[in-house]
Amino acid sequence: MRVTAEAKTETRQRILQSARSLFKKEGWQNTTTRGIAQAAGIATGTLFNYFSTKEAIAAALIDEALQRAAEEFRAEHTTDTSLEEALFTLIWSGLAKLRPFRKFLGPAAETIFSPLARSSPESPGDAIRVDHLELVEAIATAHGFPGPRPSVVTQLYWTLYLGVFAFWAADDSPGQEDTLALLDQSLKLLVPRLEIATGREIQ
Amino acid sequence: MNVSELLAQLPEDDFSSPAITESTERQLREILADLAQHPVPVGSLHRFWTVSELSAQIALAYLAVWIRQWFSGADASKRRLMETNLRVALKLFHRLGYLRGALAKLGQAASNLPLLIPDQVADTLDRLHFEAPPMHYPLIREVVRNEFGKSAEEIFPTFEREAFAAASLGQVHRARLRSGEPVAVKIQYPGIARTIDADFRNLSALMLPLRLGKDWESAKSQFEEIRRMLHQEVDYVQEAESTRLAGALFRPEDGIVVPRVYPEYSGTRVLTTDYIEGLHLRDYLATNPSQQSRNAFGTKLYVAWKRMFYAFMPYADPHPGNYLFLSDGRLGLLDFGCVQHYGPEERELMLLADKMSFEDPSLVEEVVRRICGVTRQDPALPDYIQMTHDSRDWMMEPFYHQGPFDFGDESHFQRGLDWISRATRKRTTRGNPMYVYFNRSAFGLKAMLYRLRAQVDVREVIRQERNV
Repeated sequence: MRVTAEAKTETRQRILQSARSLFKKEGWQNTTTRGIAQAAGIATGTLFNYFSTKEAIAAALIDEALQRAAEEFRAEHTTDTSLEEALFTLIWSGLAKLRPFRKFLGPAAETIFSPLARSSPESPGDAIRVDHLELVEAIATAHGFPGPRPSVVTQLYWTLYLGVFAFWAADDSPGQEDTLALLDQSLKLLVPRLEIATGREIQ
Repeated sequence: MNVSELLAQLPEDDFSSPAITESTERQLREILADLAQHPVPVGSLHRFWTVSELSAQIALAYLAVWIRQWFSGADASKRRLMETNLRVALKLFHRLGYLRGALAKLGQAASNLPLLIPDQVADTLDRLHFEAPPMHYPLIREVVRNEFGKSAEEIFPTFEREAFAAASLGQVHRARLRSGEPVAVKIQYPGIARTIDADFRNLSALMLPLRLGKDWESAKSQFEEIRRMLHQEVDYVQEAESTRLAGALFRPEDGIVVPRVYPEYSGTRVLTTDYIEGLHLRDYLATNPSQQSRNAFGTKLYVAWKRMFYAFMPYADPHPGNYLFLSDGRLGLLDFGCVQHYGPEERELMLLADKMSFEDPSLVEEVVRRICGVTRQDPALPDYIQMTHDSRDWMMEPFYHQGPFDFGDESHFQRGLDWISRATRKRTTRGNPMYVYFNRSAFGLKAMLYRLRAQVDVREVIRQERNV
């Protein structure tokens, strides 16, 4: 029997839905792919047709939320704000979309986004990284700082992003206001570097 | 001028000279004169930080001198340890970004001492009260959303994205309510309030090895009072309450306006009050006001200060940024973050000192015993009694004057500074912590009146206010 594209999308969504509620209820460590498959009403083997690991499922959840945030950002973004403000808005709106999963994202992100992991197209976090950096690149260009940027600047930005992400995942301050402050101050440090690096490129 | 140069003002090994001397005072003046030589760049957000740096450095210079004088009697090894710790503490103090904001406030207090600070520096510090710190709109939006679950645009039909004033570790935006009312929305930088305790703990830990007898105990409790008040200043819920209490003290015929608080648009990080249109001191003076106008405003300043004092809630931060001169002659009071609220013990002590001042000078010894904690056996008792007499004489000078007292008289202000420097030299600085802010407040008021060159019938004001 051929599985239609529609049915595939539906199953994929069911897996993500079950994973979301299990991660929330059982936590990251206690949730297994078998448990997710069971909750989604499919065989564990079938689940592996969609996601090779638990990390890949979590990465898909993060990716989905960040895609939504990026779409909203694109719809509202204008270049009459500063680059710093634009990046602040982009990053924070992504975190706001991820808020429902915040509790399990910390431990999940340790593997998905480990700065120590080698980036490869197979690693679950890689698509998120590539998408996000592409968007940042487009924003910087739109704000008058065209690339290509030295890779060290891009690396610096991504490391900072992960740092803010990790801090946010464990931030128990009201409304994660400590992350707001950290993000604000991080961008104050970074954006001038980004601009200087671009200036050099132009010369 | 930077902090390393300020730190260099602290002697490394030479402990032969007394800790606080004319030369220390001269050094301080030189530092300030030097700061005046370097105009602050005007324009852009950069200015805020630069100005903060400037006033933070002035505050640090004061702090260094202030702390050093506690240890002038200690032996050389203790003092060496103290100097080392002080250096580390000052460096730490300077590194804590947000504390620059707090320090800037102490710097502002310094800007209110006109005889000590060159005009250019005082002017720059004045401007700081109304400059916006760099909190961009997307951040503002999130702080507001955290507080109310809605963005500023959803709550206020109009909300100006650019701040019009700096506030205690935040900034103030103009907005309009649905009812059409113009309001001032004060927004605090996220997360600042909770870090204060932790940072003060770190600083206290650094200062702990320095403890030296009774003076240290008193200094420690004064330090604690500063921490408590700093904490209170960033507590907008408390500020809303203080504003409300202050508002209830004034009647329309007083000509003194306190902005109303809008509790439904206020919370821990956001405070919404009436927007009051008026001029700040510098702009008011630039209109070349008549002596009559200065006197009328001066009298209102004095009345407002006394009214709050006798309501046991002294206005502890009377600097130019907190007053507005309205075109109809009314005086606007802003910012009630720095208001002390006296408890039963403090009220009793305040009334005792008040009685000593106005009715019974023979209470001096009791005042010294109870407020400064100096016992009959303490060899420092005579110094403390002298200090209290000096303080009383200076404070009461305008009261004993027949007719309106001219606060523009430089020699009166100078006598106050002399009293403070004598007290500092003699190290008669022990006292109930409530007086840390009271002294700052009393000086602040007189400095305002001095810059206003106002003549006030103090006796008449006191006659009315002591009965209120």
